[in-house]
Amino acid sequence: MISELLINAFLVTIMLSIAIALIKTRTVIFTVILTSAYSLVAALMFITLDAVDVAFTEASVGAGISTILFLAAMAYLPKKEEESISSEFIPALSCIILGGILIWCSYDLPEIGQVTAPIHQHIAPEYIRGSKEDIGIPNIVTSVLASYRGYDTFGETIVVFTAGVAVLALLQKKDPTKKNKSQPKQKIRKNA
Amino acid sequence: MHNNSILRIATKILFAPIILFGLYVQFHGDFGPGGGFQAGVIVASAFILYSLVFGIEAGKKLFPSNINLILLALGGIIYGGVGIVSMLLGDEFLAYNILGSSPRSGQHIGILLVEFGVGLTVSNVMIALFNAFASYDKIKEK
Repeated sequence: MISELLINAFLVTIMLSIAIALIKTRTVIFTVILTSAYSLVAALMFITLDAVDVAFTEASVGAGISTILFLAAMAYLPKKEEESISSEFIPALSCIILGGILIWCSYDLPEIGQVTAPIHQHIAPEYIRGSKEDIGIPNIVTSVLASYRGYDTFGETIVVFTAGVAVLALLQKKDPTKKNKSQPKQKIRKNA
Repeated sequence: MHNNSILRIATKILFAPIILFGLYVQFHGDFGPGGGFQAGVIVASAFILYSLVFGIEAGKKLFPSNINLILLALGGIIYGGVGIVSMLLGDEFLAYNILGSSPRSGQHIGILLVEFGVGLTVSNVMIALFNAFASYDKIKEK
């Protein structure tokens, strides 16, 4: 229990210091690298909560591929962020109020791992039983993701697909015009 | 970056193991942590690493854009197709029980195919996004 508390305190301290560094830095590449580091610490945080699948996703997607994509997109940004002219008082105030409300609400949450918590009473026992007996897969996360919640995962896949197609449509916008410009030239050459 | 021999050799050594690890995560998702989303990202990272070190043109030669776009759509089609097949066999959309000889084997087949569809779409979307960002510059310069 004490060791868990120490590990959590350690991870939260690192996360907080990365967050403060993120606010302070004005160089875009540092922002990208720090976001990646933040995701990695978040992945460790998920491991301490025994959510290995989520940690795996956070490490590969959050810390891995999104960093690469940010770096690829970064080439079109100015190297440094501009200093904001507007006052930082109202954003800071709203953050403090929102954070305060969240901390206040967190006291009403059941303790982590408590058996009598509503989340363990509703449909989870059925999934844990059914995953073993009806589906026969040791990893309950996979059976919930692909079988019990197959519709949701289908929706997620379509969202990823749509996002990819949307970015391709936006970025390759200039390609057809080039082709249209080059095609008439070829025709002229052929006619000549 | 193209002349750095350490990067080139390390990429050549790492490329196959990364894809192997991706396949392990993909098809071992039933038994351990992992699944289509993570595996797709890992496989995509191998191709992106290749493109980063050897250049975007070499990357496109290794994995042509038109195949990339076809596979990108195919993943979603496989996922939806499993649902349609289970409907044609007389059950509900995405009810895997009917796919196999017993409900359990049906579930196994359904989950395997569905996860494969997810992995295919995710990996190809990531490669396509990277290629789109990396090639955008050249289009602008012309």
